[in-house]
Amino acid sequence: MSAAATTPVPARPKKRRGRRNLTLTIGLVVTIAFIAMAAVSFFYLPHNPNVPRIPDRLLPAGSPRYLLGTDALGRDIFSQLMVGARTSLMVGAGGALIALVIGTIAGLSAAAFGRIADETISRSADIMLSIPGMVTALVLAATIGSGTLTTILALSAFFTPSFTRVIRSAALSVLQEDFITAARLYARPTWFILLRHVLPNVAGVMIVQFTLYFAAGILTEAGLSYLGVGVTRPSISWGMMLNEAQQQVGISSPLAMWPGLSIVIVVLGLNLLGDGLRDVLDPKLARRTS
Amino acid sequence: MSPVPPVLAMEQVTQAYSHPRTALFRAPGTFTVLDCIDFHVHAGEAVGLVGESGAGKTTLTRILTGMEKPQSGRVLFEGADIWQAGPAERARFRRSVQMVLQNPRSSLDPRMKIGTALLEPMRSLRIDGNHLDRLTEVLGQVGLDTSALERFPHEFSGGQLQRIAIARALMPNPRVLVADEPVSALDVSIQAQVLNLLKDLVRDLGLSLVFIAHDLSVVAYTTHRASVIAGGRIVETGPPVELFTRPKAPQTQNLVSAVLTVNSGLSGNAL
Amino acid sequence: MSVPNAIEVVDLVVGVDELSAVRGVSFAVPARGRMGLVGESGSGKSMTAMALMGLLPPGWQARGRVLHDGVDLLTLSDKALSSRRGRTISMVFQDPMSSLNPVRRVGDQIADVIHRHMGVTRRAAHAQAIDLMTQMNLPRPEQLARAFPHQISGGQKQRIMIAMALACYPQLIIADEPTTALDVTVQKQVLRLLNAATRERNSALLMITHDLPVIAAMCDTVAVMYAGRIVEHGPVQKVFRTPRHHYTRGLLDSQPTMDNIALDGSSRLHSIPGMVPPLHALPSGCAFHPRCPAATDRCRTSMPEIDATGAACWHPVPVAAPAEAAS
Ligand SMILES: Nc1ncnc2c1ncn2[C@@H]1O[C@H](COP(=O)(O)OP(=O)(O)OP(=O)(O)O)[C@@H](O)[C@H]1O
Ligand SMILES: Nc1ncnc2c1ncn2[C@@H]1O[C@H](COP(=O)(O)OP(=O)(O)OP(=O)(O)O)[C@@H](O)[C@H]1O
Ligand code: SF4
Ligand SMILES: [Mg+2]
Ligand SMILES: [Mg+2]
Repeated sequence: MSAAATTPVPARPKKRRGRRNLTLTIGLVVTIAFIAMAAVSFFYLPHNPNVPRIPDRLLPAGSPRYLLGTDALGRDIFSQLMVGARTSLMVGAGGALIALVIGTIAGLSAAAFGRIADETISRSADIMLSIPGMVTALVLAATIGSGTLTTILALSAFFTPSFTRVIRSAALSVLQEDFITAARLYARPTWFILLRHVLPNVAGVMIVQFTLYFAAGILTEAGLSYLGVGVTRPSISWGMMLNEAQQQVGISSPLAMWPGLSIVIVVLGLNLLGDGLRDVLDPKLARRTS
Repeated sequence: MSPVPPVLAMEQVTQAYSHPRTALFRAPGTFTVLDCIDFHVHAGEAVGLVGESGAGKTTLTRILTGMEKPQSGRVLFEGADIWQAGPAERARFRRSVQMVLQNPRSSLDPRMKIGTALLEPMRSLRIDGNHLDRLTEVLGQVGLDTSALERFPHEFSGGQLQRIAIARALMPNPRVLVADEPVSALDVSIQAQVLNLLKDLVRDLGLSLVFIAHDLSVVAYTTHRASVIAGGRIVETGPPVELFTRPKAPQTQNLVSAVLTVNSGLSGNAL
Repeated sequence: MSVPNAIEVVDLVVGVDELSAVRGVSFAVPARGRMGLVGESGSGKSMTAMALMGLLPPGWQARGRVLHDGVDLLTLSDKALSSRRGRTISMVFQDPMSSLNPVRRVGDQIADVIHRHMGVTRRAAHAQAIDLMTQMNLPRPEQLARAFPHQISGGQKQRIMIAMALACYPQLIIADEPTTALDVTVQKQVLRLLNAATRERNSALLMITHDLPVIAAMCDTVAVMYAGRIVEHGPVQKVFRTPRHHYTRGLLDSQPTMDNIALDGSSRLHSIPGMVPPLHALPSGCAFHPRCPAATDRCRTSMPEIDATGAACWHPVPVAAPAEAAS
């Protein structure tokens, strides 16, 4: 028998991943800080963010007792930001998660269960995509009233079709690989192939998409709340803070700056995380470099 | 006619696909991919199938391995029609006819360890026994050792992966190996390793081999008998020597003249 | 006045961070000459070609000199380079599908190249495109010009790519595995066409492939690449008839051809044991030594350079040895 080298290729030195790791690290740090901020808000807040304190109104940042100052009604800005982070986390992650679950099931089914299933699911997704997200949100808000749950539902309805599309195309490219043919040859049923072979191979795509839609969810929620159809007090959202600040901009612009800055930093961080994860998880890139 | 029936055969197989419909209310057209094909392989025999791209080679292997049911004609395993067989018979057929695919990188799941992938056929075909011994034995047959089991496909070269794919096919101890262009995606030097391995397996294990390629010289090296397929019909069958030196059908002549060799290139009359 | 070389590459090194895929490659293709670059997958052939075209993946860098048309391509700006691509130097890729724009008609894509580089009107460019397609032996060119890439066969796509590459009478065409994705009969037609068309236009050809017979049929000189270096270089007739490097010899012996095997199924093919080393684990000395039948301690410690034999080898294959399968 011909001599065959069994020695597998030695692992590639990790150093090359340097620049990618920087993106990933920044994204990870911002995201963890954001989640920590939201988590702490459940146990500890410097002040009650909903109780007005007229004597303390419009204090500047760095005032004693008020880290980032107070708003027009004397409510602590930092406390409001913390509770706002909680809302953003719930709404962004919740919306993206529901969309992820439904989109994955729909996308896999469209890819694997034949033309009729594919046509039905893909056309439905197209129709849903053609309705602007804001319209969905406004209709929902008008029918079941605005609030956190409504916003989550609106976001997931808005994201599900794009998720479905992404998962469908990723699954299609996995399904045409030869190892699927091999599994079919062993008479594995379709559901088994989907769970055992397709799902692990699209998991990377799922995680990356989740982070990106998480960010988009935060942004959209801020937009909705800014328009006054998102969450309502006693919940607090960064978009709502922007809205309230805008009524006072003539008086104190830092009021708009803090929630605005929070939105920008968190959305940017999540996007960096998504990009970093894409580089690490994308099997095509991994294959190319090995 | 020999008294022993061939291990695997197809008789008068015809298969047609429908074009996707071009307009909503127009009936989809059909076109015939395989047209009254007769094909067989005896125990311990290596048979080749050559043809241009689109000739229907892959479709033929799908029907031969029972992945697709032909619209007409019969597929016989040890003389019995597989589409009429009972569950026990069908299970035996599944176990006995295994396949090696063209692209080794895509024929193994990148997220699955080699060990798990090699056990897949045993699990799905519900074969009991001490699989660890079988794993060691099969890896030995393809020239790899057990250190491969804990690794993932991306840690191997194309040639090694094709050996692993062959090992997976050998796991259930098949009688027939169907290889659809198993070396087309490999480099020449690696190609030689895999061709030699297939040849050894036929000789040492008494396996039957159905070997598909579009390059006649590769088929000539590996098989005792070869058929030329063109446009869904088998146009000529014979020992590779005959096909090479005295091709009769124009499609065979075409394939023979398309083979480039270093010597014909050097003598300046290759093109 | 005629230019002596269509391209001259001096000490080309291509790498990313501390890894090099091409490690000091030098060669020249004379005007109207045809050179082959051959080697196993991963030996750095495509990276060499990409460096010449200025199309390296992000993060990759090329050092050395690439002299073409009186300038060093490695010193040119992106803008200057892209004005040359398709005009004085052009390329045909392995995968025609991914190098054609899927949403533009193929005729328009050829016309685009002509319009951009030759300064003719759109209408004239389109007429020239149809003309080119006729020369490429494409059936019903007017009709085919209106097709989208997915509507035509692989062989036809590759002919369209060749038409685009030849449209502006370039001094040099680089063809990277142009027929690897095609089956043997179509391969022959495409090679024949590429051969005739480059000769007609006086273009030089750099043919990249792992298929030795293709090189033998198409080229005058050949460079054999292994692990990012040229290990043997010379006229095709000399290198393929009397290989001096053990790698070249091994490649020639692994060919399953009529000359190499007995057709009764009794013979065995020679094969090179092992595999091409990955970039980050290159062997010391002669990179081929773990797979070489003639390796000695000297091969393991110091790296040979190409010498008078035309091969970079401490113990060249004796010339008298007939190149046939050693089992
Ligand atoms: N499921 C299908 N539906 C419609 N047409 C099909 C299907 N499968 C194959 N065909 C068509 O049948 C013909 C034969 O295909 P097949 O894959 O068997 O050819 P092949 O000889 O294996 O070619 P290649 O060398 O390119 O693999 C082709 O024209 C192909 O487009
Ligand atoms: N984008 C990339 N990132 C990292 N490494 C790469 C990348 N592209 C190529 N390489 C590595 O560079 C080396 C040379 O690759 P190259 O594509 O030049 O080989 P080749 O000789 O053209 O092989 P093939 O015949 O497979 O096309 C290989 O080891 C390859 O793994
Ligand atoms: S230098 Fe040594 S190892 Fe390299 S090819 Fe020559 S004999 Fe073999
Ligand atoms: Mg095929
Ligand atoms: Mg290449």
